[in-house]
This record gives sequence, C-alpha cells and structure tokens, in this order.
Amino acid sequence: MAQHNLGTVLSFEFIRTVTKGRFWIGTLSVPLIIAVVFGLIFLSNTSTDTAAAAQKSAQFSISYTDASGLITAEDAALFSATAADSPDAGITAVQSGTVDAFFDYPTQPESTPVRVYGADRGLFENGKYAAVAQAMLTHAVEQRIGSPQLSALAAGRVQIETVTYDGTEESGGLGSVIPPMVFLVIFYGLIVLLAGQMLNSTLEEKENRVTEMILTTLKPTTLIAGKVIALFGIGLVQMIVFLSPVLIGRLFFPEELSLTALDVPPLILDPVRMTVGLLILVGGFALFTTTLVAIGAVMPTAKEAGNFMGVMMALIFVPFYAVALVVSDPQSVIVQIFTYFPFSAPVTALLRNAFGSLGLLEAGIVIAILFTGAAVMLRLAVRLFQYGSISYTSKVNVRTALRAGSRHPAEGPPTTGS
Amino acid sequence: MDEARVHISGFRMDFGDTTVVRDLSFDVHAGETFGFLGSNGSGKTTTIRALLGIYEPTAGILHINGRDFKPEHGDRLGYLPEERGLYKKEKVIDIMTYFGRLKGMGRRTARQWSLEYLARVALADRATAVLDKLSSGQQQKVQLGVTIMNNPELLILDEPTKGFDPVNRRLLMDIIAEQKQGGATVVMVTHQMEEVERLCDRVILLKDGTAEAYGTIDEVQNKYGGRIIRIRHTGAIPPSPHYEAVLEETNYSELSLTDATDEAVILKDLIDAGVTVRSFTTTKISLEDIFIRVYGDQNVPAAAGTFSTAPAPARDGA
Ligand SMILES: Nc1ncnc2c1ncn2[C@@H]1O[C@H](COP(=O)(O)OP(=O)(O)O)[C@@H](O)[C@H]1O
Ligand SMILES: [Mg+2]
Repeated sequence: MAQHNLGTVLSFEFIRTVTKGRFWIGTLSVPLIIAVVFGLIFLSNTSTDTAAAAQKSAQFSISYTDASGLITAEDAALFSATAADSPDAGITAVQSGTVDAFFDYPTQPESTPVRVYGADRGLFENGKYAAVAQAMLTHAVEQRIGSPQLSALAAGRVQIETVTYDGTEESGGLGSVIPPMVFLVIFYGLIVLLAGQMLNSTLEEKENRVTEMILTTLKPTTLIAGKVIALFGIGLVQMIVFLSPVLIGRLFFPEELSLTALDVPPLILDPVRMTVGLLILVGGFALFTTTLVAIGAVMPTAKEAGNFMGVMMALIFVPFYAVALVVSDPQSVIVQIFTYFPFSAPVTALLRNAFGSLGLLEAGIVIAILFTGAAVMLRLAVRLFQYGSISYTSKVNVRTALRAGSRHPAEGPPTTGS
Repeated sequence: MDEARVHISGFRMDFGDTTVVRDLSFDVHAGETFGFLGSNGSGKTTTIRALLGIYEPTAGILHINGRDFKPEHGDRLGYLPEERGLYKKEKVIDIMTYFGRLKGMGRRTARQWSLEYLARVALADRATAVLDKLSSGQQQKVQLGVTIMNNPELLILDEPTKGFDPVNRRLLMDIIAEQKQGGATVVMVTHQMEEVERLCDRVILLKDGTAEAYGTIDEVQNKYGGRIIRIRHTGAIPPSPHYEAVLEETNYSELSLTDATDEAVILKDLIDAGVTVRSFTTTKISLEDIFIRVYGDQNVPAAAGTFSTAPAPARDGA
C-alpha cells in the first residue's frame, strides 16, 4: 500500500511539473544561454592574436625541436627559444626544471599534432604554452606565406597537445579538471532552477488547504519522499536538456565544435573523481531538496519562505568568492570549514574534487555528511509538515512541532469557524 | 465496544494556556449517523483533527475501529475538512484520479468513477478544466466527490453544507443519505438543525469543553423537557415552576415544559390567571430551540447566521 502510494505521489508530482509550460520556459532557456556562450567562445577563439601570445613568451624559457623545418633561427630568437638536441632531451629539461617549456614540432604540423610539454603552473597559466607554441609556428609560417599549404597553417588549423609536469610527474591540467567540474555546473543549474519548486512543493498543500485531505489519506513520509524523488527526476530531465546543445553540437557540427578548436585539451576521465563528483552531486542535491522542503513546511506563504531562500542561495555561492583559496590552498581553515559545513560542502567539495585537491578520506567524510544531513532533513521535513502545516496562517513553532512524546500542535490563530 | 466505529474517552485539548476541550467522551456506533453539534469555537473541528491524528491530544483516547487512526491502516475514511482545498492548478479529473489511487482504487476505476460522479453533479464538461477555473460551489462538489471515493466505511463531514446553495445542499444531503444507506457510518458537524433531525440517529452537544447533551434525538429532547407549548394570547404569562418562557412577545409565547405536567393543567392555569388563549399547540422541542437554549446566553457571533434567535415558524404536531 505504502509502496504503491509512493509511486502514485511520484508520478503525480512528476507529471504535473513537466506538463507545465512554465517549467519548459525555465529549462530551455539554459541550453539557449549555453549555446550563445559557446558561440561567443568560438568566435573569439578564431581571432587569437599573436601579440598577446608574444607577451606571454617573455615569462618563460622555451626549448624546441622542429622536424618540419618551418621555424628558422630568427623565428626562434624572437621567442627566445633555444633548439633542443632531441625530443627526449627537451622533455628531460622540462622535468628537471632547466627550461619551462619544450615544443616538439612534427614533420607535418598540418596533420600531426604539435606536442607541447611544460612545467605545471596551475590551471589558468598552463594554457600559455599552447598559445606560444601556436604563435611561434604561425609567425614562422607568415614569413613564408604564399604556398597554399602554408596558408592553412597560418590560418591556425594546427592541433596542439599539451602535457604538463609537476617535477617528473605528469600532471593532469585542464583536461582532468573539466569532467568532474561538470558536476558543479549541474549542481548550480539544478539548485537555481529547482529551489523555488522545492520550497513550494509543500507550500502548495498548505496554501491551498490540501493538507488535511492529504494527511488523512497517506503517510507524510510517503508524500515527502515522493516529492523529493520526483524532484530528482525533474532534475534529471533538466540535466539532459542542459546537455542537449553539447550532444547536438557533437552530432551535427563535429568539426566546428571539436574540443581542440576551443583550445580545450583532451579530456581525462578519472573514475575515482567522477564517482566522488557524482556522489557529492546527488548528496548535495538531496540535502538542499530536503532542507528547502522542510523550510516550505514551516512557512505559511511563498513570500515569507522567499526570505529564507536568500540565505540558502548565499551559502551555495559563497564558496565561489573564495574560489582562489579553494584552488590554491585547500588546507586553509576557511576552506576546511566550507568543506565540512553541510550547506557549503557540495560546492566547495565539488570544486576541490575537480582540481584534485580533495583526498579520498575527505571525500568520504563529505559524502557521509551530505547523505546523513539529507536523511535528517527528510525526517525533519516530515515532522514539520505533519504537525506544523495545519497552521495555515502562522509560522510553525519548530520546537513545538518537534517536541517528542507529548507534542502539541503549533499555536496559531484558530481555524476559521464558520 | 466492538460496534464502536469511533470511541473517544477523556479527551482533553490545550492550546498553550487555553483549554479548548476539557473532558469529552462519546462513541459512534457502526452504521449510525451522528450529529456533532456545538456553537462556533466549541472545539468540534479540534476534536475531529485529534481523532484523525492531525492534532496530538493533550490527554485521552481517540480511536477509530479500536485504534489510533493512521492512514496506512487502510480504514476506508472519507473526510471532508472544514478548511477545504485541492490542487488548484491541476485538472479536475487528474486530482480525483490521484486521490482515488491514494485511497486504494486502480487508475482506471478511479477515472471511471470520477467521470460518473462529475456527470451526476452536472460537471461532466468540466472534467478536464483546471480546478481554479471552477466556481467555488463547483469546487465544493469536486471536493465532496473526492471525500466519498472508494466507498468510505466512515464519513466525517465538518460543516459539509458550507458554501452550498440550497439546490446543491439538497444534492449533498441526498449523497450523504445514500452513503448511509450503503452502510457507512457518518459523523456530521452542522448548524442545520432540521437536517440533523432528519438524518441523525444520535447527537452530541458540545459546550464549555464537555458534552452538554448526548444521546438519541428523543433523549436529548426529553432532557430539555421534551415539549414546548406555543400559544397566541392576550395578557401576560405568569411565571410557573412547570415551564420556562423561552420566548415572550406581546401576543405570542413559547413555553418549554420543565417537568411532566399535563398540557391541560397548564392551559387551565393560564386561563385561571386571566390570560386569553387564542391558540395552544404542543410540539416536541426542536433541536434548534435546544441549541438556542444551550448557547443563547453565549455571545454567538453575528456570522453564525444559521441559528438566528428569531421565533421559529410555528410547527404543528411533533
Ligand atoms: N491550532 C490552533 N491553535 C490555537 N488555538 C486553536 C487552534 N485550533 C483551534 N483553536 C481554538 O480552539 C477553539 C475551538 O476551535 P474549533 O475546534 O475550530 O471550533 P469549532 O470547530 O467547534 O467551531 C477555538 O477557540 C480556536 O480558537
Ligand atoms: Mg469547526
């Protein structure tokens, strides 16, 4: 009976949401914005100017080998690059720290990727290696422009593969940050779009006086659990919609949208980080959903609940203000607090996980905190709804609603007698 | 005991420092229709909510079918709350099907039943309309439909006539009568005393947080003297230990008999006292009279309306 009711609540809540126009307007606007942003990146990307790249060249030492014979000594001198004896010697020099970067130009750079090796200078800096390697080649080619083969090269259609080293250890770089970072983006997308609905999911019963009918028809746990699971399903639908432009893009414009065209290095999927990311996403989503549902159960109207929303939203955005710290100094006290405080934990931990600074033990603790928190909040939400939501007009006295054993109904204005 | 659908004993309910129900005990037997009466604010809704587990009682036992009510027990309950409402933004048929499913009906059965019900209450064309596009009276009918889905064995109706026009009130009463015929136990809060007299087997009158009267309608009437004498007359009505004047106008009075004295004796006393009697009728005291007698000294809010203190139309015979 309870099982069957859970399914009934689930499908009712899910269907009535996804059949509303309002839902689709909100949901579809996100991929639209993503598509616009992608377009802008694509446009600005095709006009990378060499001046900016040349500026960067001043900041690091370069050695190179050139099997194509395109780069002259003058070209190299312009970038203060010195020729290495062999690719192996060049890589060893990077690993030992003698030079910052080594560029390995292949015989046919128009079809074979240029391999770039650099000392790991962190996510935002590492991109400079590829930019300078590209600039150096472009510059050399511009000197000889005239043949069609060279024009193609001058137009910038060169593949570059960057490998960075932390000492002799190969480090992941952007390619390993992006995939687990997707969980953070999804988390934000879901919370921003669904928070209002989470809050309103029990408010509706209260504002429309459905509570008494509901409470005498099914267990409040079934109702709340059904609503939470429905929200998960709705979140899943939105996630698929959000990712649709990427999927459509990959299917129909594989050339234009290939990741190298966007200067994005090959993606590295680390199974541990992906699993941790997924668990934090699910745990964080569950915690936020149950918390917002609990708040909804206490507040008499959507308006008053809105004030609380602000606080919740601040908590998910605040770790972003400290993003530099989260990335550069994950062990600092403030980052530790953000990591373990349940409501800032999802964002902080997802960031750290993406940058690889979240240890397995830490990840385990955060995931445990999130799931435990969600379970506690679910119970709280159920109790608040069961014993509080009948006060249609006033705020539920949380302590009264929770008082064990001899709990009393919340004090409030009387029921409206006829 | 085994026949008690509802069993309440020693029920007490405090809200903070205020005691709303002091000490209330009564049973509702299986198959009977029970009137739960009391002035506004006397604690009827509170009692029902405590019985249904929405409020936690301060003290006392409130049982349905011998145990605390829990929705998961699967007792077939039909509850029409005083505070009504359904999902406003959903289609009528979807709402009804949803509740039907929650009450244990199959999807197809619930849909079919709902369509038939809507046709019966003249809402067939509104089945796929969104609820808040319906008038409030139409919404009441939908709510009543939801209440009686899946053949409830216990119907609890808190002021069911609220919001119904006279035509739909008749429809409502027909539906309640049908449910009763079908074997349902009905507990009804209402201020429509004539309907109580017509439908209810037994009643309870709640006053000051406890039962003022409890029993069959006959028993309750007898408790208040049982008989009332309506007279048209000239001359003042003298006081007497046999009756109490519940209404005294210049030429019309209602006397409630307080003991078993024969009506003929009263008539003779009046004539002896010099009163000219033009008409003299004995009737059983109506519930409305009892209601006014019990609560008349309280400040009944003007909104109460349904039980005005104007003289009841003279009714002849019992
Ligand atoms: N949740 C509540 N908090 C405080 N007082 C309440 C609450 N519910 C009802 N009351 C009080 O209890 C009394 C009885 O109310 P109620 O049971 O609705 O009366 P009735 O249904 O008989 O008209 C009223 O005085 C009302 O103010
Ligand atoms: Mg009431």
